[in-house]
Amino acid sequence: MLAVIKKELKSYLLSPIGYVFAGLFLLIFSIFFYVTLFASKSIKFEYLFYNGATVLTFITPVLTMRMFSEERKNGTEQLLLTSPRSITSIVLGKFFAAGIIMIFTEAFTLIYFGILKYFGNPSLLVALNTLFGFLLLSLAYISFGMFASSITENQIVASVLTIGVFLAMWFLPYMSNIFSIFSLIDKFEKYPEGLISIPEIVTFVSFSVLFILLTIIVLQRRKSIK
Amino acid sequence: MIKVKNVTKKYGNFYAVRNINFEVNDGEIVGFLGRNGAGKSTTMNMITGFIEPTEGEIIVNGYNIDEKPKKVKAQIGYMPEGTPLYYDLTVKEFISYMAELKMVPRKKRKDAVKKAIESTGLEKVQNNLTKNLSRGYKQRVSLAGAIVGDPDILILDEPTVGLDPKQVIEIRELIKSFRKNHTVLISSHILSEVSQLCEKVIIIDKGEIIAVDTPEKLENETKETNRIRVTVDDLDDKFLNIKDEIADISNIKLIKENEEDKSKEYIVETTNKNDIRKQIFSTCAKNNITILEMSIEENSLENAFIKLVEDRPEYSQKEINKMQYEKEIEELREEDRINKEEKEKRKQAIKEEKARKKANKKSKKEKSSKEEEEN
Repeated sequence: MLAVIKKELKSYLLSPIGYVFAGLFLLIFSIFFYVTLFASKSIKFEYLFYNGATVLTFITPVLTMRMFSEERKNGTEQLLLTSPRSITSIVLGKFFAAGIIMIFTEAFTLIYFGILKYFGNPSLLVALNTLFGFLLLSLAYISFGMFASSITENQIVASVLTIGVFLAMWFLPYMSNIFSIFSLIDKFEKYPEGLISIPEIVTFVSFSVLFILLTIIVLQRRKSIK
Repeated sequence: MIKVKNVTKKYGNFYAVRNINFEVNDGEIVGFLGRNGAGKSTTMNMITGFIEPTEGEIIVNGYNIDEKPKKVKAQIGYMPEGTPLYYDLTVKEFISYMAELKMVPRKKRKDAVKKAIESTGLEKVQNNLTKNLSRGYKQRVSLAGAIVGDPDILILDEPTVGLDPKQVIEIRELIKSFRKNHTVLISSHILSEVSQLCEKVIIIDKGEIIAVDTPEKLENETKETNRIRVTVDDLDDKFLNIKDEIADISNIKLIKENEEDKSKEYIVETTNKNDIRKQIFSTCAKNNITILEMSIEENSLENAFIKLVEDRPEYSQKEINKMQYEKEIEELREEDRINKEEKEKRKQAIKEEKARKKANKKSKKEKSSKEEEEN
């Protein structure tokens, strides 16, 4: 797994993908920081993330769309799947590499906390709790993006599918409460309020595990139908 | 050692590979020949564990790939068709990554990478990005990725495609050096290459193995006639007349006339596989024709391949499906017949049982009426 993590991190950092992702993320967060906090003279760092969660919908595919579809298109999938590494370790390697990029990018948002600290006394605990929830949400999104990338060799299709499903998860609860169980953004909203809720943690983790497992199954299944 | 037993790969109704069997022994270099779409890459992909066979089993060095995929994969170095590489890595980084994927121990990894780079002649470009390399170098990088860590078995899919003649010779020499210490399975379209490199040849066509033998044997077995090249000093053109004296000659063709010494080069074609050189010699001596040179033209592997492949009946996929359908129908009919027989037997047994019971009942009745009468 470590070999795959190292290689994936190298690919993110040697190509523009990692920088485009981090740059876009921080650019949009900076705009939100100005609009929601600076302009309204608020020091609530966590407010930044109510809007920030929607950013994930659109920029997660930057990180995930190439994960397996590019390997499949270039034929390097053959190198991976004929190596003695298990499919599970390959999938987890890719998932954690994307997760590490996400963690580092999110860690940069603490700069905004520093700026707010200069002007007032924002709660560090609530800020960390929000970041923790945001990370769980991000990992859940990465797992779905990775799954979408495993089912097609076209990166555009993978990203459109990812954004489409995230948008559906976001808007379906407005149509009926029945769909609210699918809304990960709704579940995230407890974290900026300073609450740590076990059911929400379980939801995020099980969503991630489900799509990691589905990715493993897709790759395993393709061996027999390929 | 690689053992492929009754392996079939089906995509829907289409058979990519049908019930193939072959073995590659330790230290052998075996050539895998076939036309495009014959099933070479499918077979190689199944041996390397990239795809699973629909039926049958593949055993590599005693391990079944279905049961111990990790152990099998650890012993195989695979160079896939089309040289897939990670273009954002340098040559050295790519080979190191391959070594890591193949679980080459950390302590040995540096040396293994160095050895692979040296043996494929990549020292000069080891720090270049793979995307900036020429086709030939990309091919070498892919080969280096396969041989890193010194795996027992090497599976090389078209290893010399797209290389210039010098590179082809270098790669061939490299593959030759694997002999004895490695088991090598190579697929190639270049038959002269296979002929030079391989001790054994497997010919596959339309998903079926049609021949497994040494190149020499295949060449001899598929040879139907002899072609003898004769250079003679024959100013009066008498050589063409020997056809009337030797019954086995089917044709004599003049190939070349040498301006300097006026000698002529002919190709004598025979009607069968008999070696008629002695007869040619004695007939020429009798007719005062001086033979300057005479040799039998060897049958090439190319001819053998074409002969083997062309001799096979041309079945369309529709016909193959029909044959398969008929086979399945036949099997179902056989199953049905067996079921009917069993049913019939059971019916018979029930009937017999009933008759037996009836007879018992009757005898009991008779017995009791007899007893009553006696009383």
